[in-house]
Amino acid sequence: MKILLLTECMKLRRSKIVWISVAAAFLISAIVFLGGTAENDSIRLIDSAGWYMSVVQPMSTMFVIPAVIALLGSYMICREEQEDTIKSLRLIPINETKMTAAKMIITFAFCILIYLLLFVITLTAEAILHVQDLSVSIAAGYLTAYIIDAAGVFLAVSPVIALVSYMKKSYWISLVIAEIYSFAGLFMSMSNTLKTLYPITAIFGVSGYYETSAVSKTESIAVLLVCGCLSFVILKGLKFHEDR
Amino acid sequence: MLKLIHTEFLKLRRRKFIFIMMLAALVMPFFALLYFRYFGHEGIEPMQFYRISAFGYTLWIVLPFILGILSTVIMYDENRNDMLKQLWIVPVSKMGYFFSKFFIVLIYSVCFMLITAVFSVAFSVLSGYVSFDFNSVLLLFGRSLQTGVLVAFAVLPVVAAAAMSKGYILPVFAALIYNFLGFFTASLNMYLHPLSSTAVIIMPDTSAASQTEPANIPLALLCIGVWGTASVLTAYTALKKRK
Repeated sequence: MKILLLTECMKLRRSKIVWISVAAAFLISAIVFLGGTAENDSIRLIDSAGWYMSVVQPMSTMFVIPAVIALLGSYMICREEQEDTIKSLRLIPINETKMTAAKMIITFAFCILIYLLLFVITLTAEAILHVQDLSVSIAAGYLTAYIIDAAGVFLAVSPVIALVSYMKKSYWISLVIAEIYSFAGLFMSMSNTLKTLYPITAIFGVSGYYETSAVSKTESIAVLLVCGCLSFVILKGLKFHEDR
Repeated sequence: MLKLIHTEFLKLRRRKFIFIMMLAALVMPFFALLYFRYFGHEGIEPMQFYRISAFGYTLWIVLPFILGILSTVIMYDENRNDMLKQLWIVPVSKMGYFFSKFFIVLIYSVCFMLITAVFSVAFSVLSGYVSFDFNSVLLLFGRSLQTGVLVAFAVLPVVAAAAMSKGYILPVFAALIYNFLGFFTASLNMYLHPLSSTAVIIMPDTSAASQTEPANIPLALLCIGVWGTASVLTAYTALKKRK
């Protein structure tokens, strides 16, 4: 497994996707910052302590990151067949289930890294703007929230990656589905039931962005775990060499 | 040019995915239905419904994103299969190639908006939330056509990014970030980004700009024009350098 993980990392190094995602994280942070500088009744949102760190979480999760993660995951899985490298891998021979698991682990790690990067950027900005309002406990609280967001996004998006890989469709589809799926979260937050049960909004219930009861939080965790289990079941039966 | 556009349409027949993407036109009318079902459906004005189903997030997020993916798909496949060399041998001019792709985006955008308009009317009337009003439907179709045309011009920077790049990752990310930028800079100034400028033209009465000052449509058109011209020039330079 260690070799498989290392191989996947080395493959990714050749692709631009990692660096472009890092650039995307910086750009998201910069754009939200810019939006916060707009004056509304002589008040700038960016001047309220904690606003920046709080808002980057839902904005990046509803508009950009799920699509990026879905693209990365399905790209890593689909490319072996689309670029015909799966034949060479089968000659080694390689355990396809283990290879898919390695690809999903790398996707998860990448998701965590992107959110950690967002956390570092927003924390730095907050430290520069409102150092007097920051404390270790506040920073630790946000760090936990960002990590939960990352894990939640991975779990919520994993069925999209799994389905696209299983159907052996192009990764374009996963990108479109993931973007609409994450953006739909804006409408799902209208109702408390939908907010708790829709995977994208469930992430915010778990991370603490939405104030929810313990029961709703448990239901949200259960929904995200169901998403994870669903993708596990789909990917377990994935065979790269099956005829279309 | 007409021949090139015709050829592009013939090529589209092979790509079922592009037609599947049209299903995204149903997304916002459906969410508008959900929205009014949740917040009450008594006494809804037709334009109130259409504002959410056809001109809100469709204009800001859904349509620009779909057009970004479309432009990437139609350019990436030719790059990947090394067909560009053959096109240059024909010869096809670099700008002819770029504009033929842009026309596909433009026509797709208009079709997408017309489908959105049809489903907006269907969802609003069939659900019984909105009574059928011919004038409002006419206004919806008129504005949908305008949106289709203007958003296609507003996404010219993404089309240029797709033409400049050999891969697909950069243009796809460019589309995501470009839409995100438009959404957030709207609170700063509606005339900074082509998407917010499109919103000013389509909904002058509800745009953020009108809250402080009257909508300045020539300035909005200038914004779209400046970004579009800069994108075309950048794409031209990049395509000219390409062997």
